[in-house]
Amino acid sequence: MQRHIQWLTDRMAGWSAEPCLIWNDAPTTYGEILSRMHFWSHFLEEHQVAPGETVTLDGDYSPTTVALLLALIDRGAIIVPLTKAAEAHREEFLDVAQVESIISVDEYDFWSFKRTGRRADNPLIQTLRQSGDPGLVLFSSGSTGKSKAALHNFTHLLEKFKTPRQQMRTITFLLLDHIGGINTLLYTLSNGGVVISIQDRDPEIVCRAIAAHKAEMLPTSPTFLNLLLMSHAYERYDLSSLKLITYGTEVMPESTLARLHELFPQVRLQQTYGLSELGILRSKSKDSGSLWVKVGGEGYETKVVDGILWIKAHSAMLGYLNAPSPFDAEGWFNTNDMVEVDGEYIRILGRKSEIINVGGQKVYPAEVESVLLQMDNVADAVVVGEPHPLTGNIVTARVNLVHPEPAAAFRQRLRTFCRERLAAFKVPAKIEIVDTEQFNARYKRVRR
Amino acid sequence: MEAVQQKLDRQAVVELILAALQDVLAGVEGEAMAPDENTRLIGRASVLDSMGLVTLIVEVEQRLEADHDLVVVLADDRAMSQTRSPFLSVGTLADYVMQLAAEQG
Repeated sequence: MQRHIQWLTDRMAGWSAEPCLIWNDAPTTYGEILSRMHFWSHFLEEHQVAPGETVTLDGDYSPTTVALLLALIDRGAIIVPLTKAAEAHREEFLDVAQVESIISVDEYDFWSFKRTGRRADNPLIQTLRQSGDPGLVLFSSGSTGKSKAALHNFTHLLEKFKTPRQQMRTITFLLLDHIGGINTLLYTLSNGGVVISIQDRDPEIVCRAIAAHKAEMLPTSPTFLNLLLMSHAYERYDLSSLKLITYGTEVMPESTLARLHELFPQVRLQQTYGLSELGILRSKSKDSGSLWVKVGGEGYETKVVDGILWIKAHSAMLGYLNAPSPFDAEGWFNTNDMVEVDGEYIRILGRKSEIINVGGQKVYPAEVESVLLQMDNVADAVVVGEPHPLTGNIVTARVNLVHPEPAAAFRQRLRTFCRERLAAFKVPAKIEIVDTEQFNARYKRVRR
Repeated sequence: MEAVQQKLDRQAVVELILAALQDVLAGVEGEAMAPDENTRLIGRASVLDSMGLVTLIVEVEQRLEADHDLVVVLADDRAMSQTRSPFLSVGTLADYVMQLAAEQG
């Protein structure tokens, strides 16, 4: 049988006595992960899980999950990772990806295996099967409309990890069914780093894990970083091991970045850019306090048309399982992200669909949110557009407060604060104080 | 916000609008003024620009709901198509609020 990640397992064998994964505070070595992987290779063989079979791997970063993922790639399976964050859409996702087998791994690292009785006959899946390569199905977040299922040839995604990079002890914050999570895991394993698994994405727990396991890298989202700042959890733990914080998946509020940079001057703050459809691009922030970033790297071409970023990627998905191909004739993909350009740097302004048109003028939610987050007593803020007969749309701010405050007085305080910092049409006309969290299970602000 | 339930009379609505207007105008450049029922909300003599008017309308809607448990939409196609705009002055806006409240029973 063809083996697909011989290069990776050969590398891992070289680190066999070194820690590979910390799960429930206990280390597992590269050698142990490899022997678990061999167990799973036999298991898949015995249970006749064929190359090209669509298999859901349901779990977080545990020894079993990591070893099983590697065994599935090596066998040439088409992997459909799912996590708790996708629970609400589980049946829909299993259906769309035509999942034939499910292996679930629970929080005690116990696993179960079952066949669904489905037969995958999607033409794209059949094309991938004919190539003999392993596959990966990732669901786009679907902030507007239904989630789309991106089918990748896993071999293309793996290619870039063959280039050796820095060894890092890394918190696996982003989940395994997200392109950022898959990227973090493969980056760490292919460079002999340590995967530090966390039970919960709460700031207190993340800080504790950084301190206890001397984490060097934290790949996360701006929403989480804002929560971290609000919680002051960083004051209660020794985070001096941290060298690099990467942030992506949504626009970083300028004010959050500035505060973070001030609090952690020694930590490099690096923006990442990636999409379920294209993988993660290589990126380089101008500096730790800057939102300007260079994206691209080997295998990626970028262009900006009418302020929108387009990308052509060697590692692009084969297509959607449940939607027409989004690529144009030359293979370019419209990201629908609005950007500003300065030489070779871009600055991401926001999703085209989230721009608020107030009387013909554009408002980017992230710019307003960044101002709101600087106000005293504001814990979090989400800005959306609402239709209004006078100006077409109005800017609505939904704000979480740290402590209760009289609503009318707060609204006036907010308007005054914003007027000093924003053009009049960007100042929220409607201000709502909300009690519930405004981000999803992936720590991304929800604007709807 | 501590909701004070009271029977809605026109004078209370005028006062609510005036308080909202003062809040919306606070911090806006220009000389301090004491608005009253005749204060113009649209047109050349208006104290507000279009963003200010939108903000005032939303603020009045939010106060009516918080203070009087009254949920109304002040700016919609119906309001826009009135021969006499409800947004002409503080007084006409109060009349329009009373009209919408009466329709709700």
